[in-house]
Amino acid sequence: MQENVIDQSKDITILELLDRVLNKGVVITGDIVISVAEIDLIYIGLKLILTSVETMQQRRLTTIKPNC
Amino acid sequence: MEKIIYAIIDANKNNANVDYQIKNIKGLNGSDLFVISFQEISAVVSNFDTSKYSIKKELAIDFARVIDELSHLFTLLPIRFGTFLKSDEIITQLLTDHYQPFHDNLEKVRGKDEFGLKLLWDYDKSKESIRAEVEKEDLNPADYFSKNTVNTNYLLEKMKKYRLEDALLKHVEHFIDEISSLLAQINPDCRFNKMLSPSIILDAVFLVEKQRKGEFIQVIENLKQQHADLHFLLTGPWPPYSFMEILIDN
Repeated sequence: MQENVIDQSKDITILELLDRVLNKGVVITGDIVISVAEIDLIYIGLKLILTSVETMQQRRLTTIKPNC
Repeated sequence: MEKIIYAIIDANKNNANVDYQIKNIKGLNGSDLFVISFQEISAVVSNFDTSKYSIKKELAIDFARVIDELSHLFTLLPIRFGTFLKSDEIITQLLTDHYQPFHDNLEKVRGKDEFGLKLLWDYDKSKESIRAEVEKEDLNPADYFSKNTVNTNYLLEKMKKYRLEDALLKHVEHFIDEISSLLAQINPDCRFNKMLSPSIILDAVFLVEKQRKGEFIQVIENLKQQHADLHFLLTGPWPPYSFMEILIDN
């Protein structure tokens, strides 16, 4: 029953997952790391997903009524 | 052929049966995982040809899958996606040079899971409600300005805007205090990011002992019941991505 409070929607899970693998974790930079340009494109994609999920959630929020 | 690092784990392949444990986990593009060890820690890596495969969102999602599967077997430190190194020797050097911070962070996250909580509100509605509260208290120009000049109205408007922003922030801070107080007994490590956007008022992450997961979820459930005007997005359990305090710049 408790698990119900955890959001299971696919969009949210993927957004949260991408936010973590792209923005968090141990950061290793400098000359020893091979730079791959396409990673920046995924970052841009993530920002677009964030905007769309936020809009979706906002829409859902405005339809929530107390005690429903 | 480059190497991609997935995680630092708390095991040495010579002391633990690491190779056997990870044999059923596949890396990106179906590659085999292997470990490079130094003292009591190891880097989990696989070969990856950056000229052959394009880096797409699906690859990042698969990278997270590998970390998730490893997290069921070991205490680990996730590495940010996109860390490609040239050779095994560089990885060994990395483990040698940064052994202590890796070791200390592994101890910090041992037996714990990460949970994320985002709180959303109806920004326009909430702003108006807080504005009404703020404006109950009249602003008297004489309290702030020595002379009533042509600029006074402009400055008063600016001050009202500032007071509204301040009240919004205090509202969020009050909520953080409420969460912190309710979670005090569970005592998770937590990070709060306020007002991520107008609609996301709070972006919080918690590092919770696995055995107290149920208590943690119950606290969030109770909060949710008490705040029907807010939308709760609780996710997890995650490997401890948000609690890495290691930045290596070589």
